[in-house]
Amino acid sequence: MNAAQRILIIAGIAIIGFTMSFGVWYAIFDEHQTLNAIGLNLASGFIHAATGDLSAAMTSLDNYAAVNREYRFEVHSHGHWGMLALILLILGLVFQQLGLSERQGLALAWLLALSAALFPLGILIQTGPALAIGKALSLFGAVGMVLGLLVSAWGLIRGASP
Amino acid sequence: MTQTEIAPVQAQQLLATSSQRLLAIGGVLLVASGMLFGDVFAMFVLHPNNAGISDAMVAAAQLIPAGDTDGIRSQFMAIGGLLENRGTKIDAHSHIIHMGFIGLLLAMMQPWVALSAVAKRRAAWFYILSATLLPCSIFAIHYVGLAYSPLQHIGWASILADLFGAFLALAMFIQLWGLWRYCRGERAADISPAYIGVGNGNGASRALLVGGLLLLVCGFLYGAGFAAYGDLTDAPQEVDIFKAIVTHAAGSQQVMLDQDFAALGKLQMFHGINVAVHAHINEMGILLLLMAFVQGFVQYSDNTRLRWAQLAVLSAFGLPLGILMEIPFGIVGSIVADLFGFTMLVSLMAMLFGLLRYTGASDAENGGAL
Repeated sequence: MNAAQRILIIAGIAIIGFTMSFGVWYAIFDEHQTLNAIGLNLASGFIHAATGDLSAAMTSLDNYAAVNREYRFEVHSHGHWGMLALILLILGLVFQQLGLSERQGLALAWLLALSAALFPLGILIQTGPALAIGKALSLFGAVGMVLGLLVSAWGLIRGASP
Repeated sequence: MTQTEIAPVQAQQLLATSSQRLLAIGGVLLVASGMLFGDVFAMFVLHPNNAGISDAMVAAAQLIPAGDTDGIRSQFMAIGGLLENRGTKIDAHSHIIHMGFIGLLLAMMQPWVALSAVAKRRAAWFYILSATLLPCSIFAIHYVGLAYSPLQHIGWASILADLFGAFLALAMFIQLWGLWRYCRGERAADISPAYIGVGNGNGASRALLVGGLLLLVCGFLYGAGFAAYGDLTDAPQEVDIFKAIVTHAAGSQQVMLDQDFAALGKLQMFHGINVAVHAHINEMGILLLLMAFVQGFVQYSDNTRLRWAQLAVLSAFGLPLGILMEIPFGIVGSIVADLFGFTMLVSLMAMLFGLLRYTGASDAENGGAL
């Protein structure tokens, strides 16, 4: 196992372990409460409208939209960490066949590992006040993953050709 | 057998040891079970469930002019139950498949996990059992509910799902510990097992590898495009439609209300299908890449192996395409997606039989020493 493979495989396993722990924590301490809040706010929107208080209905629906967005972003972070970690592990296993120099391989491994960690982190951060930082991180992570994957695909196709 | 003795054997005779076999065969079985569950869920639960949610939402809106708040509450209780039913089944489906993927990857990494053979076998069993029981617990959440639960919001099935989730995290940290020991030099020799391009199965591996990478690039671009579409266009937001629904319902404007519900249904279908397409492209891509690793151990002739691999690649492209076709063609798209899901299952099962033939032949040669 060379240094680049080590980075990809250890980063992949660490991210999977982290996202599983995050998933367990989230399921116990946040998910049920968030789902309750989503249902409660949506129902309140309808109930306030039934009592004639349309202003309160709009506030409840805005709260529903905010909590629903937070829930989707949190679940997406968990899911994307897991899937991107799997890609790191797969690339770690075939990395020697990419035909890259040691320096290029290390640069690609760091790009992929950082992108896989930062893209879902950026999504998660967007649920808090640091929206711009979250967007910047997720953009960096998305571009990094696409670039890294294209370079890997090019290396594999080049390495596979006789 | 110690790690010093077992590592060179694993590097030269891949899938020869029980921990590798357990993780590889268990992984394929988990993926196949998850796909079968997804097919059944899509056919018999998803569509009736969506119709139920839509009907309850319309009924709740119709109760607004009469001021029937109790009736609205009971409709939303019904919606909550339907959403929980759907959500836990989607979670069970995705968790079974993802746990299978991780199992396959762990199998491939066993030569680099510097633990004793007994510890690796126990760690593999620990992973496979936890990976099987986690989705079963998630599936049971809707049916067990809060019966006999010591907690106000969390039932026994959720508690068990959390427990097995924690076990899975622990199983991953055990594997990480083994890798860490390897990286620190606690190993017999530097091992580089090659899973692609060795021996038989190179053509099939290459077909799966290229298909998988192409799908992953498509999946990333599709996800980025869908996110950008939501951010950069004036596409209607769900909350705006809900606001229109309660406003028009309160004013008894039935025609407008019907239009609002039509817009809501269209938006939810568009969003749900696009998310499903993105997820399925990526998952099929990862599955093809993973299956590329085991082609050298699928004991068929080169032609037969290549045919199964080509069927898997065709199915992996066809499944998300079928889901996407649901937007313009409705049920026809669902049938196409289900058909390709079924052909993917068939090719996976064929590869699993090939793997079992390989392990049997390997055992016969070694006299079952490992």
